[in-house]
Amino acid sequence: MAYELISGCQAAALAAQRAGVDLVAAYPITPQTAIVETLASFEAQGELKGEFVSVESEYSALSYCNGAVAAGARVFTATSSHGLAYMHEMTQWCSGARFPIVMVNVNRTVGAPWVLDPDQGDSLSQRDTGWMQIYCANAQEVFDITLQAFLLSEELLLPTMVVFDGFYISHTYEPVDVPEMEQAREFIGPPQFQAQVVPGIQANLHGLSTGEAQLQLVRKRHEDMLRAPEIFADINNRFEKVFGRGYMPVEAVIPEGAKTAFLAAGSTAETVRWFLPELESCGLIQLRMFRPFPKDELGRIVEEHGLDRLIIVDRNCSTGTGGYFAQETRAALYGLNERPVVQDLLLAGGIDLTEDILAGAAQKSPGDGFVDLQWGVELR
Amino acid sequence: MKEEMYEFRLHGRGGQGIVVAASIFAEAVFLEGRYARAFSLFGAERRGAPVTAFIRAGTDRLMPRSRIYQPNFAAVFDPTLSGETMLSGLKEGGTLLVNIEEEDLDNLPGDALEGNRFRIYAVDATGIARRHGLTVAGFPVVNTVMLGAMAGVSGLASVDNLVVSIKKRITASLEANINAVNEGADKVREVGDLVR
Repeated sequence: MAYELISGCQAAALAAQRAGVDLVAAYPITPQTAIVETLASFEAQGELKGEFVSVESEYSALSYCNGAVAAGARVFTATSSHGLAYMHEMTQWCSGARFPIVMVNVNRTVGAPWVLDPDQGDSLSQRDTGWMQIYCANAQEVFDITLQAFLLSEELLLPTMVVFDGFYISHTYEPVDVPEMEQAREFIGPPQFQAQVVPGIQANLHGLSTGEAQLQLVRKRHEDMLRAPEIFADINNRFEKVFGRGYMPVEAVIPEGAKTAFLAAGSTAETVRWFLPELESCGLIQLRMFRPFPKDELGRIVEEHGLDRLIIVDRNCSTGTGGYFAQETRAALYGLNERPVVQDLLLAGGIDLTEDILAGAAQKSPGDGFVDLQWGVELR
Repeated sequence: MKEEMYEFRLHGRGGQGIVVAASIFAEAVFLEGRYARAFSLFGAERRGAPVTAFIRAGTDRLMPRSRIYQPNFAAVFDPTLSGETMLSGLKEGGTLLVNIEEEDLDNLPGDALEGNRFRIYAVDATGIARRHGLTVAGFPVVNTVMLGAMAGVSGLASVDNLVVSIKKRITASLEANINAVNEGADKVREVGDLVR
């Protein structure tokens, strides 16, 4: 165990380094900047196996990654907010082309106006781009899951976005167990996927096709992605044997007899968990995997504990509808015989989750003027 | 049962190094065998603007990921910040540590001294930093003196562990910074003692 007091950004950079990436192409943006700085300094000190490419924009960062991964390289990039929005076209190209790229997105509000606080709308607005999305609750998860994401992506030939909150994780310095280089490399091994581009062989990649052919590709991509919870669990079983800790796509801490649970993805899960003893008879469901949505796993937790109310912590808002996580939860649980009431707690703008907000949301029950969408700011 | 947690809030201005100070202190606490985290509030960073940083120290790795509204300990790196800011939410019986010269103690925010609500400590971090030549563009860099004082007052980190952590993060004027930590720990005084 080699604990270091590092930030979430440094944890992400160390994971990419330990994964032995062949190429990093990235452009700095607050609050992700320290990832780029750390990887650039690794390269300057000869501590990065691969090449660090300083590109002129996020669009180029992902395009550069696309080229390298097509040639069989293990690649990494990182961004936030407007940077991710700028990558949008390329994100879909990655998944369509079945490129196993790993990207870290550090949540930050998308403008206007310019805001640095960690609204999750940046990553959630990329929900439908064919990337797997995994949300981390602390810097240890950032390190571990970023490392694991290379295996997940390379197994399924799909890109993975590892997501965590700006500042609450990116700029928080905390003890992280960082495995030695050899131990991490031995766990992850070299990339096993086949290169699409081979030097000396002429080929036309992803050229003009037909709707019929695309249907087959979309279907295959969808079915492959549905395997992600199982593969993620397998990777974590192996990870736990080596490193003594592991994660599930969705996990629950439900006290005996509790029928209400908060559902949170990202750093708010730790805040909820800390305040559980103060909240009368409430539990926590920590959602890590958002794409694919772990529908069956979530349904099992709800049924096993007989939960009749879920309060969804949504540090985001899809304008005109409400929080993304609440929408997804309602859809996922629709088929249950006993459906819980799903209450949306909105922290859009990236506002701080306090004990007052949690207690206020827990008190509002369907019996006393229940609303299905509640603005956290009104409970402070 | 919840684990015990001790919360620090650091008040300073951009350029004084409070964000680095928070992580140095957290690491020193961790080296003592406790769990600790350091974080800060960000806006558009600029030299001279008010900056707030936080430290949580406890025995369990589970801690909330919210800001600190009711700290046990407020450390004021710049006494010209508003008293309202530095005392906001400070727990009854909590500790207020201020970088201030003895002759300026009267300038402490009025209600800080009233009613013995807080334990108040003072250290002339600006004077000590200047004496050790710790200045950037003429401005004193007080963070290592304040770290020594925080260690001395809180008892949650030793000067030795602060030095271990400083060596990892500060390369410039290392010897002067180590001397500054020691002097900060040594010279910090409880204000009650000074007034009486």
